[in-house]
Amino acid sequence: MDLNFTAEELEFRSGIRQWVAENLPKDISDKVHQAQRLSRDDLQRWAKILGKKGWLGWGWPQAFGGPGWSAVQKHLFEEECALAGAPRVVPFGPVMVAPVIMAFGSPEQHKRFLPGIASGEVWWSQGYSEPGAGSDLAGLKTRAERRGDKYIVNGQKTWTTLGQYGEWIFCLVRTSTEGKPQTGISFLLIDMKSPGITVRPIIMLDGEHEVNEVFFDNVEVPAENLIGEENKGWTYAKHLLSHERTNIADVNRAKRELERLKRIAKAEGLWDDQRFRDQIALLEVDVVALEMMVLRVLSAEKSGKNSLDVAGLLKIRGSEIQQRYTELMMLAGGPATRAYVHEAMEAGWQGDHVGAAHSASLASHYFNYRKTTIYGGSNEVQRNIVAQTVLGS
Amino acid sequence: MDFEFTQDQLSLRDAVARWVEKGFGFERRHALAKAGGATRAVYGELAELGLAGLAVPEAHGGLGFGPVEAMVVMEELGRGLVNAPYAPGALVAPALLAAAPPALQAAWLPKIADASALVVLAHQEPRSRYRLNHVETTARAGAGGGHVLSGRKIVVPAGDEADAFIVPARLAGAVDDEAGIGLFLVERKNAQVRGYPTHDGARAADVVLNDSPGTLIAAEGFAAMEAAVDVGIAAQCAEAVGLMDQYLRITVDYMNTRKQFGVPIASFQALRHRIADIKMQVELGRSMSYFASLTLGRERAQRRRAISQTRVQLGQSMRFVGQQCTQLHGGIGVTDEYLGSHYFKRLTVLETSFGDTLHHLGEVSARMQDTAGVFA
Repeated sequence: MDLNFTAEELEFRSGIRQWVAENLPKDISDKVHQAQRLSRDDLQRWAKILGKKGWLGWGWPQAFGGPGWSAVQKHLFEEECALAGAPRVVPFGPVMVAPVIMAFGSPEQHKRFLPGIASGEVWWSQGYSEPGAGSDLAGLKTRAERRGDKYIVNGQKTWTTLGQYGEWIFCLVRTSTEGKPQTGISFLLIDMKSPGITVRPIIMLDGEHEVNEVFFDNVEVPAENLIGEENKGWTYAKHLLSHERTNIADVNRAKRELERLKRIAKAEGLWDDQRFRDQIALLEVDVVALEMMVLRVLSAEKSGKNSLDVAGLLKIRGSEIQQRYTELMMLAGGPATRAYVHEAMEAGWQGDHVGAAHSASLASHYFNYRKTTIYGGSNEVQRNIVAQTVLGS
Repeated sequence: MDFEFTQDQLSLRDAVARWVEKGFGFERRHALAKAGGATRAVYGELAELGLAGLAVPEAHGGLGFGPVEAMVVMEELGRGLVNAPYAPGALVAPALLAAAPPALQAAWLPKIADASALVVLAHQEPRSRYRLNHVETTARAGAGGGHVLSGRKIVVPAGDEADAFIVPARLAGAVDDEAGIGLFLVERKNAQVRGYPTHDGARAADVVLNDSPGTLIAAEGFAAMEAAVDVGIAAQCAEAVGLMDQYLRITVDYMNTRKQFGVPIASFQALRHRIADIKMQVELGRSMSYFASLTLGRERAQRRRAISQTRVQLGQSMRFVGQQCTQLHGGIGVTDEYLGSHYFKRLTVLETSFGDTLHHLGEVSARMQDTAGVFA
C-alpha cells in the first residue's frame, strides 16, 4: 500500500500542469474561477486547443489516435485541468459516443466520425431521455423504421444538454416492440441538420437555456448511421455508462470549488464564524473521503483486478457534494444572493452589483445544481443498483 | 499510488480471521462480557499468533511491522468483535516507548512483544475531556533521582489487567500547556486502581496516583504522546471498518431471511435504500481508514489534520451504520442475546476514546488551509 503517486506519475502531472498553464486562455479560466457564464465559443475554443494537442479524447487508446493513458494518468490530467480552471469538456462527443463508436462501430464509421470528435470541430448531443422515459430509460418510444437503406425516425427526446449547439446527436431509438423493452432498442447517429428535426429550448429554474427538447418528424437517417447491430443498442448504451467510473464523481472540480467557497467565506467575514466554518470543515472531510474513494477505484483499475464496484456510490456522493458546495456558497453570499440580475453573470459586466460581485451567480448555481442528483441515473436509481449488489437479491 | 495488500499482509489477515473463526465465536465473547469483560487471556492468545509484538522493533523481539499491518489486524479484530486491549497494548504502548531511553525500552519492549506485560496509556483526566494538553496530574523529583506522580486518570483501557501505565504528568507550566508534560512509566503496584466493566464488553479503570513512583520516559513528552495517540486513532478507525463491514453483512443476511408480509424484508425499497446508505458510509469509512494509516508518517500538522479528518468521517459512519443496522433488525436488534447489538455498542463506545466527532471537527476546522485534498 502506498498513497503517493509514483515518480513517473508525478512527472507526468507536472508536464500536464505546465502545458495547461501555457495553453488555457486566461479569459476562460477567469470565468470558471468566478463562475461566470461560459459561451459556446468558450467551450469550443478550449475543446479545439485540447483537440489540436490530441487530448480532447484524453481517455482514448492510441489505436484511435488518443494518448493511451492509464487510469491514473487520465485522473491526473482531469485534476490539472479542473484546478487550473478549465471548463468541463462537453462529454457527449469525446467521452460518451466515441467509445461506443470505437467498440461497436465499423471501420468506415471510425473514419467518418472520430476525427471530428477528436478535433472538437463537431458538436455532439445526447438523445436518450424522453418525456415518458426517464429513470425507466428502456421505456423509450422514439421509433426508427427501416425503409430500404434508410431509417425513418419519429418521436421526441428531451433534456438534451446544449442541444441548441448540436450538429450531431446519438440516439437510442426503438426498432422493435417484440420481447423485453431492452431488446428492441438501436443506437443511431443522426445529423441534426436533417429535415424534420426541431430543437426547442427548455428554460431551467435558474433562467438559463441549458437543455432542450428535440422533435423528430419523419426524419430520414441513412442506415449506415446505425451503430453495430439493430436491437443491440441497449448493450452499447450500457457499455457507455460503465465507461466513465471515476470521472462521474468530479472530485477535482469539488476541490476547486471548495477553494472558492473558502474565498467567498473569507470575503464575507465568515471564516471566523465557527458555526459556518464547521460546515466548510464537514464538506472538506466529505471531499477528502470522496477523493480517497476515487483513488481506490483507480488503484483497483491499475492492478487489473478491478474488483471495486463503487461506481454508484461515486455518483451519489459526488453529486451530493456538488449540491452542498453550491448551497454553502449561496448561504455565504447572504442576502445579496437574492437578487437575480441575468447580465451580472457575464464576464466584464459594467453594471452595479448587488453586494459583492461573487454573489451574482451563487443562487443560480444552487438552483442549477439540483440537477446533479437527478441526471445520469437519479440517485435513487443508483441506490437501487448499490442495494442490488450488496443484498445480492 | 497503490491500495493492494501484499501477500504477507493477506496472510496476516487470514491468520487473525482463522483464530476468530476457531476460537472467538459469539458465545465465548458474550460469556466474557457477562463475566465482567476481563480479556487478558484472550490477549495472550493473540500473542501466541505473534500479534503482541507486531509493532515492537525486531531488536526487542517484535516483528517491527508498520501501520498497514496494524490496520489489517485491527480490521479483523473489529470484524470478530474481539474485546481484548490489542490497540492500547500492542500498538499505542510501543509507539510511546519509542521516546524512552534505551534501557527502559530494553526493559519493557520484549515483555510487551511476548505479552508477559500489558502496558497501556493512562492519559484522560476528569476535566481533560479529549484535550491531550490538559494535564493536571503532577510529577516532581522524588527520593533517589526518580519521580513521584500525583493525580487521577480515568477510563484507562483494561486498567485493572495492565501491568504498567504510561502516564502524562506535568513537570512544569500551566494546566493546558503543551510544554512541561512529562511521560512516565508507572507500575500498577504503585497505583490505586479501580476497575469496572464497559458497555462494549471490555474493562477500564480509574487510576489514582498519590506520590506514586514513576520512571521518566521523556521530560517533554507531548509530541510523543500525540503521535502515539494518532497511532491509536488510526487503529481504532481500522477496527471500526471491520465492525461496520461485518455488521452490514449480518444485517444483509438477516434481511434476506426475515419475512414479513410474506416476503423477505430485503425486498422493500425503503430498506434497500437504507442498505445503500449504509454501504456508502462503510466505504467512505474504509477509504478514510486507509488515509489515516498511510499518513501516519507525515509531518505533524499534516498528520494531525489527516487523523482528525478521518475521525470525523469514521465518527459519522460509525454512528450511522450502528444505528441503522440495529434499526433494520427490528426488535431482535435491541436484545442482549443477539450479536448485532454488541457490534452497535462497540461502534458507539469507540467514539469516546481519543476524541469524539465534534472534537475532531473542531480540529479539522482549525487546521483548514486554502486548498484541500488527499495530498494537500
